[in-house]
Amino acid sequence: MKKKIITSKKKKAMASLLKKKTRDCLEEKVRQQTDELKIRDGQLKRGADREKLGADREKIAQEQIHIRTKAMESASDGIFIIDAKKPDFPIIYANPAFYGLTGYSKKEVIGQNYFLLYGPNADMHVLDEIKQIISQGRSFYGELLKFRKNGEKFWSLLRIAPVRDTKGNVTHYVGIKTDTTLMKQRNLEIEEQREELLHVTRVGKLAEFVSSLAHEISQPLTAILSYAQAGQRMLKDREPRLREILQYIINDDQRAAEVIRRLRSLLKKNKPAFEPLDINALTNDTVTLIMPHITAKNKIIKLELGSGLPMIQGDRIQLQQVLLNLISNSLEAMEDSKDSHELLIRTSLRDADTVMVQVKDSGCGIPQENMKKLFAHFFTSKPDGLGMGLSISRSIVEAHGGHLEAENNPDRGATFYFTIPVNRDNKL
Amino acid sequence: MSVNVFIIDDDESVCRALKALLMTYDFEVRTFNSAQNFFDTVAHDDPGCLLLDIHMPGLDGWEVQKRVLASGSDRPVIFISAEKKDDATDRALKAGAVGFLQKPVNGQTLVDLINGIKD
Repeated sequence: MKKKIITSKKKKAMASLLKKKTRDCLEEKVRQQTDELKIRDGQLKRGADREKLGADREKIAQEQIHIRTKAMESASDGIFIIDAKKPDFPIIYANPAFYGLTGYSKKEVIGQNYFLLYGPNADMHVLDEIKQIISQGRSFYGELLKFRKNGEKFWSLLRIAPVRDTKGNVTHYVGIKTDTTLMKQRNLEIEEQREELLHVTRVGKLAEFVSSLAHEISQPLTAILSYAQAGQRMLKDREPRLREILQYIINDDQRAAEVIRRLRSLLKKNKPAFEPLDINALTNDTVTLIMPHITAKNKIIKLELGSGLPMIQGDRIQLQQVLLNLISNSLEAMEDSKDSHELLIRTSLRDADTVMVQVKDSGCGIPQENMKKLFAHFFTSKPDGLGMGLSISRSIVEAHGGHLEAENNPDRGATFYFTIPVNRDNKL
Repeated sequence: MSVNVFIIDDDESVCRALKALLMTYDFEVRTFNSAQNFFDTVAHDDPGCLLLDIHMPGLDGWEVQKRVLASGSDRPVIFISAEKKDDATDRALKAGAVGFLQKPVNGQTLVDLINGIKD
Protein backbone atom coordinates (compact mmCIF):
# COMPACT_ATOMS: atom_id res chain seq x y z
CA MET A 1 0.00 0.00 0.00
CA LYS A 2 2.73 2.38 1.00
CA LYS A 3 4.61 1.56 -2.12
CA LYS A 4 1.68 2.65 -4.26
CA ILE A 5 1.46 6.06 -2.65
CA ILE A 6 5.10 6.64 -3.29
CA THR A 7 4.61 5.63 -6.88
CA SER A 8 1.92 8.21 -7.49
CA LYS A 9 3.98 10.95 -5.88
CA LYS A 10 6.90 9.84 -7.87
CA LYS A 11 4.84 10.26 -11.04
CA LYS A 12 4.04 13.82 -10.13
CA ALA A 13 7.66 14.57 -9.57
CA MET A 14 8.41 13.04 -12.92
CA ALA A 15 5.69 14.92 -14.75
CA SER A 16 7.01 18.26 -13.66
CA LEU A 17 10.46 17.27 -14.73
CA LEU A 18 9.34 16.02 -18.11
CA LYS A 19 8.61 19.58 -19.07
CA LYS A 20 12.32 20.10 -19.11
CA LYS A 21 12.46 17.54 -21.91
CA THR A 22 14.60 14.49 -22.41
CA ARG A 23 16.78 14.35 -19.40
CA ASP A 24 16.31 10.71 -18.66
CA CYS A 25 19.38 10.27 -16.51
CA LEU A 26 18.55 13.26 -14.49
CA GLU A 27 15.03 12.06 -13.91
CA GLU A 28 16.17 8.69 -12.78
CA LYS A 29 18.50 10.21 -10.26
CA VAL A 30 15.93 12.65 -8.98
CA ARG A 31 13.39 9.89 -8.68
CA GLN A 32 15.71 7.80 -6.60
CA GLN A 33 16.53 10.74 -4.43
CA THR A 34 12.90 11.68 -4.03
CA ASP A 35 12.03 8.15 -3.02
CA GLU A 36 14.83 8.15 -0.53
CA LEU A 37 13.72 11.45 0.82
CA LYS A 38 10.18 10.35 1.28
CA ILE A 39 11.15 7.22 3.09
CA ARG A 40 13.31 9.20 5.41
CA ASP A 41 10.63 11.80 5.76
CA GLY A 42 8.33 9.10 7.07
CA GLN A 43 10.89 7.92 9.55
CA LEU A 44 11.52 11.44 10.78
CA LYS A 45 7.86 12.15 11.36
CA ARG A 46 8.19 10.16 14.51
CA GLY A 47 10.33 12.95 15.93
CA ALA A 48 13.71 12.15 14.49
CA ASP A 49 16.39 14.63 13.56
CA ARG A 50 14.79 17.35 11.42
CA GLU A 51 18.01 19.19 10.94
CA LYS A 52 19.49 16.26 9.10
CA LEU A 53 16.55 16.33 6.70
CA GLY A 54 17.14 19.97 5.97
CA ALA A 55 20.77 19.31 5.19
CA ASP A 56 19.86 16.38 2.94
CA ARG A 57 17.33 18.47 1.07
CA GLU A 58 19.89 21.18 0.61
CA LYS A 59 22.40 18.68 -0.72
CA ILE A 60 19.93 17.16 -3.18
CA ALA A 61 18.81 20.57 -4.40
CA GLN A 62 22.45 21.51 -4.95
CA GLU A 63 23.02 18.35 -6.90
CA GLN A 64 20.01 18.97 -9.10
CA ILE A 65 21.18 22.46 -9.89
CA HIS A 66 24.61 21.10 -10.66
CA ILE A 67 23.30 18.48 -13.07
CA ARG A 68 21.04 20.96 -14.87
CA THR A 69 23.82 23.46 -15.19
CA LYS A 70 26.16 20.78 -16.54
CA ALA A 71 23.52 19.68 -19.03
CA MET A 72 23.09 23.25 -20.31
CA GLU A 73 26.84 23.70 -20.56
CA SER A 74 27.17 20.48 -22.54
CA ALA A 75 24.33 21.17 -25.01
CA SER A 76 25.40 21.67 -28.61
CA ASP A 77 22.69 24.29 -29.20
CA GLY A 78 23.27 27.82 -27.99
CA ILE A 79 21.19 28.42 -24.85
CA PHE A 80 20.75 31.81 -23.18
CA ILE A 81 18.62 33.41 -20.51
CA ILE A 82 17.39 37.01 -20.57
CA ASP A 83 16.18 38.96 -17.53
CA ALA A 84 12.63 39.94 -18.41
CA LYS A 85 12.21 42.41 -15.58
CA LYS A 86 14.70 44.83 -17.03
CA PRO A 87 13.70 46.85 -20.09
CA ASP A 88 16.83 46.34 -22.17
CA PHE A 89 16.77 42.54 -22.36
CA PRO A 90 20.09 41.85 -20.60
CA ILE A 91 21.53 38.37 -20.96
CA ILE A 92 22.22 36.83 -17.57
CA TYR A 93 23.41 33.43 -18.76
CA ALA A 94 24.72 31.87 -21.93
CA ASN A 95 26.18 28.40 -22.44
CA PRO A 96 29.52 27.73 -24.19
CA ALA A 97 27.79 26.72 -27.44
CA PHE A 98 26.24 30.19 -27.54
CA TYR A 99 29.67 31.81 -27.40
CA GLY A 100 30.93 29.44 -30.07
CA LEU A 101 27.99 30.21 -32.32
CA THR A 102 28.03 33.99 -32.02
CA GLY A 103 31.76 34.48 -31.67
CA TYR A 104 31.31 36.76 -28.67
CA SER A 105 33.09 36.22 -25.35
CA LYS A 106 31.41 35.87 -21.99
CA LYS A 107 32.45 39.39 -21.07
CA GLU A 108 30.80 40.80 -24.15
CA VAL A 109 27.60 38.85 -23.61
CA ILE A 110 26.67 38.88 -19.94
CA GLY A 111 24.66 42.00 -19.04
CA GLN A 112 24.48 42.98 -22.69
CA ASN A 113 21.18 43.71 -24.45
CA TYR A 114 20.45 40.50 -26.33
CA PHE A 115 19.28 42.26 -29.47
CA LEU A 116 22.43 44.35 -29.75
CA LEU A 117 24.34 41.13 -30.35
CA TYR A 118 22.64 40.90 -33.72
CA GLY A 119 25.03 43.56 -34.99
CA PRO A 120 24.40 46.60 -37.14
CA ASN A 121 23.38 44.58 -40.23
CA ALA A 122 20.44 42.87 -38.53
CA ASP A 123 16.93 43.23 -39.88
CA MET A 124 15.33 45.65 -37.42
CA HIS A 125 11.79 44.62 -38.39
CA VAL A 126 12.44 41.06 -37.35
CA LEU A 127 14.04 42.12 -34.07
CA ASP A 128 11.06 44.36 -33.27
CA GLU A 129 8.76 41.47 -34.02
CA ILE A 130 10.65 39.18 -31.66
CA LYS A 131 10.66 41.82 -28.91
CA GLN A 132 6.96 42.38 -29.32
CA ILE A 133 6.12 38.70 -29.21
CA ILE A 134 8.14 37.89 -26.14
CA SER A 135 7.02 41.05 -24.33
CA GLN A 136 3.47 39.73 -24.64
CA GLY A 137 4.56 36.56 -22.90
CA ARG A 138 4.36 34.47 -26.06
CA SER A 139 6.98 32.19 -27.57
CA PHE A 140 8.95 33.04 -30.68
CA TYR A 141 9.99 30.45 -33.25
CA GLY A 142 11.77 31.29 -36.44
CA GLU A 143 14.76 30.96 -38.71
CA LEU A 144 16.89 34.07 -39.16
CA LEU A 145 19.99 35.12 -40.99
CA LYS A 146 22.46 36.24 -38.34
CA PHE A 147 25.97 37.57 -38.12
CA ARG A 148 28.81 36.35 -35.98
CA LYS A 149 31.05 38.88 -34.28
CA ASN A 150 33.43 38.71 -37.24
CA GLY A 151 30.60 39.55 -39.62
CA GLU A 152 30.22 36.01 -40.96
CA LYS A 153 26.65 35.14 -41.88
CA PHE A 154 24.88 32.08 -40.54
CA TRP A 155 21.36 30.75 -40.42
CA SER A 156 19.95 30.34 -36.95
CA LEU A 157 16.84 28.53 -35.86
CA LEU A 158 15.76 30.58 -32.86
CA ARG A 159 13.25 29.67 -30.17
CA ILE A 160 12.56 32.01 -27.25
CA ALA A 161 10.07 31.09 -24.52
CA PRO A 162 8.95 32.98 -21.41
CA VAL A 163 9.89 31.63 -17.97
CA ARG A 164 7.24 32.36 -15.33
CA ASP A 165 7.30 32.45 -11.55
CA THR A 166 4.70 30.72 -9.40
CA LYS A 167 2.31 33.65 -9.84
CA GLY A 168 2.55 33.42 -13.58
CA ASN A 169 4.59 36.56 -14.07
CA VAL A 170 7.26 36.41 -16.73
CA THR A 171 10.61 36.72 -15.01
CA HIS A 172 12.98 35.51 -17.71
CA TYR A 173 13.16 34.43 -21.30
CA VAL A 174 15.00 31.28 -22.26
CA GLY A 175 16.32 31.06 -25.77
CA ILE A 176 17.80 28.28 -27.89
CA LYS A 177 19.57 28.88 -31.16
CA THR A 178 20.70 26.22 -33.61
CA ASP A 179 23.05 26.75 -36.52
CA THR A 180 21.14 25.52 -39.59
CA THR A 181 23.57 26.81 -42.21
CA LEU A 182 24.81 23.36 -43.25
CA MET A 183 21.30 22.00 -43.41
CA LYS A 184 20.23 24.92 -45.58
CA GLN A 185 23.17 24.38 -47.86
CA ARG A 186 22.36 20.73 -48.25
CA ASN A 187 18.74 21.55 -49.07
CA LEU A 188 19.92 24.07 -51.62
CA GLU A 189 22.16 21.48 -53.24
CA ILE A 190 19.30 19.02 -53.43
CA GLU A 191 17.12 21.72 -54.94
CA GLU A 192 19.76 22.47 -57.57
CA GLN A 193 20.16 18.81 -58.48
CA ARG A 194 16.42 18.49 -58.83
CA GLU A 195 16.33 21.54 -61.10
CA GLU A 196 19.11 20.11 -63.24
CA LEU A 197 17.28 16.85 -63.61
CA LEU A 198 14.00 18.59 -64.44
CA HIS A 199 15.80 20.62 -67.05
CA VAL A 200 17.27 17.52 -68.65
CA THR A 201 13.85 15.91 -68.60
CA ARG A 202 12.25 18.94 -70.23
CA VAL A 203 14.92 19.12 -72.92
CA GLY A 204 14.59 15.37 -73.47
CA LYS A 205 10.84 15.68 -73.88
CA LEU A 206 11.23 18.57 -76.27
CA ALA A 207 13.81 16.73 -78.36
CA GLU A 208 11.60 13.66 -78.58
CA PHE A 209 8.63 15.82 -79.42
CA VAL A 210 10.48 17.71 -82.15
CA SER A 211 11.83 14.47 -83.56
CA SER A 212 8.34 12.97 -83.86
CA LEU A 213 6.99 16.19 -85.29
CA ALA A 214 9.85 16.46 -87.78
CA HIS A 215 9.17 12.96 -89.02
CA GLU A 216 5.46 13.67 -89.46
CA ILE A 217 6.15 16.87 -91.41
CA SER A 218 8.92 15.38 -93.54
CA GLN A 219 6.50 12.90 -95.08
CA PRO A 220 4.19 15.46 -96.72
CA LEU A 221 7.20 17.59 -97.66
CA THR A 222 8.63 14.57 -99.49
CA ALA A 223 5.39 14.07 -101.34
CA ILE A 224 5.03 17.76 -102.24
CA LEU A 225 8.57 17.93 -103.61
CA SER A 226 8.15 14.82 -105.71
CA TYR A 227 4.75 15.92 -107.06
CA ALA A 228 6.14 19.32 -108.02
CA GLN A 229 9.23 17.85 -109.67
CA ALA A 230 7.08 15.33 -111.51
CA GLY A 231 4.83 18.18 -112.71
CA GLN A 232 7.79 20.14 -113.98
CA ARG A 233 9.07 17.21 -115.97
CA MET A 234 5.61 16.48 -117.40
CA LEU A 235 5.41 20.04 -118.69
CA LYS A 236 8.81 19.76 -120.36
CA ASP A 237 9.07 22.95 -122.46
CA ARG A 238 5.44 23.93 -122.22
CA GLU A 239 3.77 26.44 -119.84
CA PRO A 240 6.87 28.34 -118.70
CA ARG A 241 4.86 30.31 -116.07
CA LEU A 242 3.40 27.20 -114.56
CA ARG A 243 6.88 25.66 -114.50
CA GLU A 244 8.10 28.73 -112.67
CA ILE A 245 5.37 28.37 -110.07
CA LEU A 246 6.27 24.71 -109.59
CA GLN A 247 9.86 25.81 -109.06
CA TYR A 248 8.70 28.16 -106.27
CA ILE A 249 6.88 25.26 -104.64
CA ILE A 250 10.06 23.19 -104.85
CA ASN A 251 12.17 26.01 -103.36
CA ASP A 252 9.81 26.57 -100.45
CA ASP A 253 9.52 22.86 -99.80
CA GLN A 254 13.27 22.66 -99.53
CA ARG A 255 13.29 25.72 -97.28
CA ALA A 256 10.84 24.04 -94.92
CA ALA A 257 12.91 20.86 -94.97
CA GLU A 258 16.00 22.88 -94.07
CA VAL A 259 14.23 24.46 -91.08
CA ILE A 260 13.33 21.03 -89.82
CA ARG A 261 16.84 19.73 -90.38
CA ARG A 262 18.28 22.61 -88.36
CA LEU A 263 15.74 22.22 -85.59
CA ARG A 264 16.58 18.56 -85.38
CA SER A 265 20.32 19.12 -85.15
CA LEU A 266 19.76 21.83 -82.54
CA LEU A 267 18.02 19.38 -80.28
CA LYS A 268 20.21 16.46 -81.08
CA LYS A 269 20.40 14.41 -77.93
CA ASN A 270 23.64 14.71 -76.06
CA LYS A 271 25.56 11.51 -76.26
CA PRO A 272 24.95 9.69 -72.99
CA ALA A 273 27.95 9.91 -70.68
CA PHE A 274 28.52 6.32 -69.63
CA GLU A 275 30.36 5.69 -66.39
CA PRO A 276 30.44 2.89 -63.83
CA LEU A 277 27.45 3.35 -61.50
CA ASP A 278 26.26 1.87 -58.24
CA ILE A 279 22.55 1.35 -58.81
CA ASN A 280 21.78 1.56 -55.07
CA ALA A 281 23.55 4.90 -54.68
CA LEU A 282 21.73 6.15 -57.74
CA THR A 283 18.40 5.01 -56.30
CA ASN A 284 19.13 6.68 -52.97
CA ASP A 285 20.10 9.94 -54.66
CA THR A 286 16.96 9.94 -56.76
CA VAL A 287 14.72 9.25 -53.79
CA THR A 288 16.36 12.12 -51.91
CA LEU A 289 15.46 14.40 -54.78
CA ILE A 290 11.81 13.46 -54.86
CA MET A 291 11.37 12.98 -51.09
CA PRO A 292 9.71 16.38 -50.44
CA HIS A 293 7.18 15.56 -53.15
CA ILE A 294 6.46 12.18 -51.59
CA THR A 295 6.05 13.64 -48.12
CA ALA A 296 3.79 16.39 -49.45
CA LYS A 297 1.54 13.76 -51.01
CA ASN A 298 1.43 11.91 -47.73
CA LYS A 299 2.96 8.77 -49.22
CA ILE A 300 5.64 6.47 -47.90
CA ILE A 301 8.54 5.17 -49.92
CA LYS A 302 10.17 1.86 -48.99
CA LEU A 303 13.54 0.82 -50.31
CA GLU A 304 14.71 -2.77 -50.61
CA LEU A 305 18.19 -2.40 -51.97
CA GLY A 306 19.93 -5.64 -52.83
CA SER A 307 23.34 -6.02 -51.26
CA GLY A 308 26.54 -6.68 -53.15
CA LEU A 309 25.10 -5.67 -56.53
CA PRO A 310 27.72 -5.32 -59.26
CA MET A 311 28.38 -1.96 -60.89
CA ILE A 312 26.54 -1.07 -64.07
CA GLN A 313 27.68 1.08 -66.95
CA GLY A 314 25.35 4.02 -67.56
CA ASP A 315 24.49 7.68 -67.73
CA ARG A 316 23.69 8.85 -64.20
CA ILE A 317 21.39 11.73 -65.15
CA GLN A 318 19.45 9.69 -67.70
CA LEU A 319 18.89 6.75 -65.39
CA GLN A 320 17.82 9.11 -62.61
CA GLN A 321 15.40 10.58 -65.09
CA VAL A 322 13.92 7.14 -65.76
CA LEU A 323 13.59 6.35 -62.06
CA LEU A 324 12.11 9.76 -61.30
CA ASN A 325 9.59 9.30 -64.07
CA LEU A 326 8.53 5.88 -62.75
CA ILE A 327 8.25 7.19 -59.18
CA SER A 328 6.16 10.18 -60.15
CA ASN A 329 3.89 8.00 -62.29
CA SER A 330 3.39 5.70 -59.31
CA LEU A 331 2.60 8.64 -57.06
CA GLU A 332 0.01 9.82 -59.55
CA ALA A 333 -1.49 6.34 -59.72
CA MET A 334 -1.95 6.44 -55.94
CA GLU A 335 -3.17 10.03 -55.92
CA ASP A 336 -6.91 9.44 -55.64
CA SER A 337 -6.76 6.40 -53.44
CA LYS A 338 -6.98 7.16 -49.73
CA ASP A 339 -5.84 3.76 -48.51
CA SER A 340 -2.84 3.27 -50.75
CA HIS A 341 0.25 4.99 -49.44
CA GLU A 342 3.16 2.76 -50.02
CA LEU A 343 5.62 2.84 -52.84
CA LEU A 344 8.32 0.17 -52.98
CA ILE A 345 11.59 0.41 -54.85
CA ARG A 346 13.58 -2.77 -55.06
CA THR A 347 16.98 -3.34 -56.61
CA SER A 348 18.21 -6.85 -57.25
CA LEU A 349 20.34 -9.08 -59.40
CA ARG A 350 18.05 -10.73 -61.92
CA ASP A 351 20.75 -12.97 -63.23
CA ALA A 352 24.54 -12.90 -63.21
CA ASP A 353 24.63 -10.30 -66.00
CA THR A 354 21.61 -8.16 -65.24
CA VAL A 355 20.63 -5.73 -62.50
CA MET A 356 16.91 -5.01 -62.07
CA VAL A 357 15.11 -2.03 -60.55
CA GLN A 358 11.42 -2.37 -59.69
CA VAL A 359 9.03 0.41 -58.75
CA LYS A 360 5.90 -1.06 -57.21
CA ASP A 361 2.85 0.98 -56.26
CA SER A 362 -0.47 0.16 -54.70
CA GLY A 363 -2.44 2.50 -56.91
CA CYS A 364 -5.15 2.05 -59.50
CA GLY A 365 -3.16 -0.30 -61.77
CA ILE A 366 -3.12 -0.24 -65.57
CA PRO A 367 -6.32 -1.01 -67.50
CA GLN A 368 -5.75 -3.97 -69.82
CA GLU A 369 -6.57 -1.94 -72.94
CA ASN A 370 -3.76 0.54 -72.13
CA MET A 371 -1.09 -2.09 -71.58
CA LYS A 372 -0.02 -2.25 -75.23
CA LYS A 373 0.06 1.50 -75.85
CA LEU A 374 1.78 2.33 -72.57
CA PHE A 375 5.18 3.06 -74.09
CA ALA A 376 4.01 4.66 -77.34
CA HIS A 377 4.71 8.30 -78.14
CA PHE A 378 1.93 10.69 -77.20
CA PHE A 379 -0.03 8.04 -75.34
CA THR A 380 -1.25 9.31 -71.99
CA SER A 381 -4.01 8.51 -69.54
CA LYS A 382 -3.52 11.81 -67.70
CA PRO A 383 -5.61 14.84 -68.57
CA ASP A 384 -2.56 17.10 -68.72
CA GLY A 385 0.01 14.52 -69.83
CA LEU A 386 2.12 14.80 -72.96
CA GLY A 387 2.60 11.06 -73.31
CA MET A 388 6.37 11.35 -73.54
CA GLY A 389 7.60 10.17 -70.13
CA LEU A 390 7.42 6.40 -70.56
CA SER A 391 8.44 6.41 -74.22
CA ILE A 392 11.54 8.44 -73.39
CA SER A 393 12.25 6.23 -70.39
CA ARG A 394 12.06 3.16 -72.53
CA SER A 395 14.41 4.57 -75.16
CA ILE A 396 16.89 5.55 -72.43
CA VAL A 397 16.82 2.08 -70.90
CA GLU A 398 17.18 0.47 -74.32
CA ALA A 399 20.15 2.71 -75.11
CA HIS A 400 21.69 1.16 -72.00
CA GLY A 401 21.08 -2.31 -73.38
CA GLY A 402 18.21 -3.02 -71.00
CA HIS A 403 14.43 -3.33 -71.05
CA LEU A 404 11.60 -1.38 -69.43
CA GLU A 405 8.39 -3.27 -68.78
CA ALA A 406 5.20 -2.95 -66.76
CA GLU A 407 2.77 -5.36 -65.20
CA ASN A 408 -0.15 -5.25 -62.83
CA ASN A 409 0.39 -6.70 -59.38
CA PRO A 410 -1.68 -9.74 -58.39
CA ASP A 411 -3.34 -7.81 -55.55
CA ARG A 412 -3.40 -4.16 -56.54
CA GLY A 413 -1.40 -1.47 -58.28
CA ALA A 414 1.30 -1.93 -60.88
CA THR A 415 5.02 -2.63 -61.02
CA PHE A 416 7.34 -1.00 -63.54
CA TYR A 417 10.76 -2.53 -63.81
CA PHE A 418 13.84 -2.04 -65.88
CA THR A 419 16.97 -4.08 -66.36
CA ILE A 420 20.50 -2.88 -67.04
CA PRO A 421 23.37 -5.17 -68.04
CA VAL A 422 26.20 -5.49 -65.55
CA ASN A 423 29.40 -3.64 -66.34
CA ARG A 424 31.62 -6.60 -67.13
CA ASP A 425 34.87 -4.75 -66.54
CA ASN A 426 33.95 -4.03 -62.95
CA LYS A 427 32.17 -7.22 -62.15
CA LEU A 428 32.69 -8.42 -58.62
CA MET B 1 13.36 -2.34 -121.61
CA SER B 2 12.51 -0.01 -118.70
CA VAL B 3 13.98 -0.46 -115.22
CA ASN B 4 11.73 -1.67 -112.38
CA VAL B 5 11.58 0.34 -109.15
CA PHE B 6 9.78 -0.91 -106.06
CA ILE B 7 8.89 1.57 -103.32
CA ILE B 8 8.01 0.59 -99.75
CA ASP B 9 6.74 3.44 -97.58
CA ASP B 10 3.88 3.41 -95.09
CA ASP B 11 2.84 6.90 -96.24
CA GLU B 12 0.54 6.51 -99.21
CA SER B 13 1.08 10.04 -100.45
CA VAL B 14 4.86 9.63 -100.46
CA CYS B 15 4.47 6.45 -102.51
CA ARG B 16 2.14 8.09 -105.02
CA ALA B 17 4.35 11.19 -105.44
CA LEU B 18 7.60 9.25 -105.88
CA LYS B 19 5.88 7.01 -108.35
CA ALA B 20 4.61 9.99 -110.34
CA LEU B 21 8.08 11.49 -110.38
CA LEU B 22 9.96 8.34 -111.33
CA MET B 23 7.47 7.56 -114.09
CA THR B 24 8.45 10.80 -115.81
CA TYR B 25 11.90 9.24 -116.05
CA ASP B 26 10.33 6.19 -117.68
CA PHE B 27 10.85 3.82 -114.79
CA GLU B 28 8.41 1.01 -114.18
CA VAL B 29 7.22 1.73 -110.62
CA ARG B 30 5.25 -0.35 -108.11
CA THR B 31 4.47 0.85 -104.59
CA PHE B 32 3.78 -0.99 -101.32
CA ASN B 33 2.48 0.37 -98.00
CA SER B 34 4.14 -2.36 -95.97
CA ALA B 35 7.07 -4.69 -96.28
CA GLN B 36 4.78 -7.67 -95.87
CA ASN B 37 2.78 -6.52 -98.83
CA PHE B 38 5.96 -6.36 -100.92
CA PHE B 39 7.24 -9.79 -99.92
CA ASP B 40 3.82 -11.30 -100.61
CA THR B 41 3.66 -9.83 -104.13
CA VAL B 42 7.17 -9.65 -105.52
CA ALA B 43 9.32 -12.73 -106.05
CA HIS B 44 12.84 -12.43 -104.80
CA ASP B 45 14.29 -12.84 -108.28
CA ASP B 46 12.00 -10.26 -109.93
CA PRO B 47 14.48 -7.72 -111.27
CA GLY B 48 14.30 -4.15 -109.96
CA CYS B 49 15.69 -1.91 -107.27
CA LEU B 50 14.02 -1.14 -103.97
CA LEU B 51 13.40 2.27 -102.40
CA LEU B 52 13.00 1.60 -98.72
CA ASP B 53 11.64 3.84 -95.96
CA ILE B 54 13.25 3.18 -92.58
CA HIS B 55 10.58 4.20 -90.06
CA MET B 56 7.63 1.93 -90.58
CA PRO B 57 5.35 0.03 -88.25
CA GLY B 58 5.96 -3.70 -88.29
CA LEU B 59 9.19 -4.53 -90.11
CA ASP B 60 11.39 -1.45 -90.32
CA GLY B 61 13.69 -0.65 -93.26
CA TRP B 62 16.78 -2.25 -91.76
CA GLU B 63 14.99 -5.53 -91.11
CA VAL B 64 13.45 -5.54 -94.58
CA GLN B 65 16.85 -5.17 -96.16
CA LYS B 66 18.21 -8.02 -94.04
CA ARG B 67 15.37 -10.19 -95.24
CA VAL B 68 16.00 -9.25 -98.86
CA LEU B 69 19.63 -10.30 -98.48
CA ALA B 70 18.70 -13.47 -96.61
CA SER B 71 16.37 -14.52 -99.41
CA GLY B 72 19.41 -14.73 -101.68
CA SER B 73 18.22 -11.79 -103.76
CA ASP B 74 20.80 -9.39 -105.22
CA ARG B 75 18.21 -6.61 -105.41
CA PRO B 76 19.81 -3.16 -104.99
CA VAL B 77 18.37 -1.24 -102.05
CA ILE B 78 18.23 2.55 -101.49
CA PHE B 79 17.20 3.75 -98.05
CA ILE B 80 15.15 6.93 -97.77
CA SER B 81 14.37 8.36 -94.36
CA ALA B 82 13.26 11.61 -92.79
CA GLU B 83 15.73 11.18 -89.99
CA LYS B 84 19.39 11.21 -90.80
CA LYS B 85 21.67 10.02 -88.08
CA ASP B 86 25.35 10.83 -88.53
CA ASP B 87 26.31 7.28 -89.34
CA ALA B 88 23.24 6.43 -91.42
CA THR B 89 24.99 6.47 -94.81
CA ASP B 90 27.86 4.36 -93.48
CA ARG B 91 25.48 1.96 -91.86
CA ALA B 92 23.44 1.66 -95.04
CA LEU B 93 26.49 0.98 -97.21
CA LYS B 94 27.89 -1.49 -94.71
CA ALA B 95 24.58 -3.33 -94.71
CA GLY B 96 25.02 -3.74 -98.46
CA ALA B 97 22.69 -0.97 -99.65
CA VAL B 98 23.39 1.25 -102.62
CA GLY B 99 22.80 4.49 -100.76
CA PHE B 100 20.93 6.56 -98.22
CA LEU B 101 18.86 9.62 -99.05
CA GLN B 102 17.22 11.99 -96.62
CA LYS B 103 13.62 13.04 -97.15
CA PRO B 104 12.49 15.13 -98.88
CA VAL B 105 14.35 13.49 -101.75
CA ASN B 106 15.48 15.56 -104.69
CA GLY B 107 14.29 13.82 -107.88
CA GLN B 108 17.47 14.18 -109.92
CA THR B 109 19.66 12.88 -107.07
CA LEU B 110 17.46 9.83 -106.71
CA VAL B 111 17.39 9.15 -110.44
CA ASP B 112 21.18 9.50 -110.70
CA LEU B 113 21.57 6.99 -107.89
CA ILE B 114 19.20 4.51 -109.56
CA ASN B 115 20.86 4.92 -112.93
CA GLY B 116 24.27 4.42 -111.33
CA ILE B 117 23.24 0.92 -110.24
CA LYS B 118 23.01 -0.40 -113.77
CA ASP B 119 26.71 0.11 -114.41
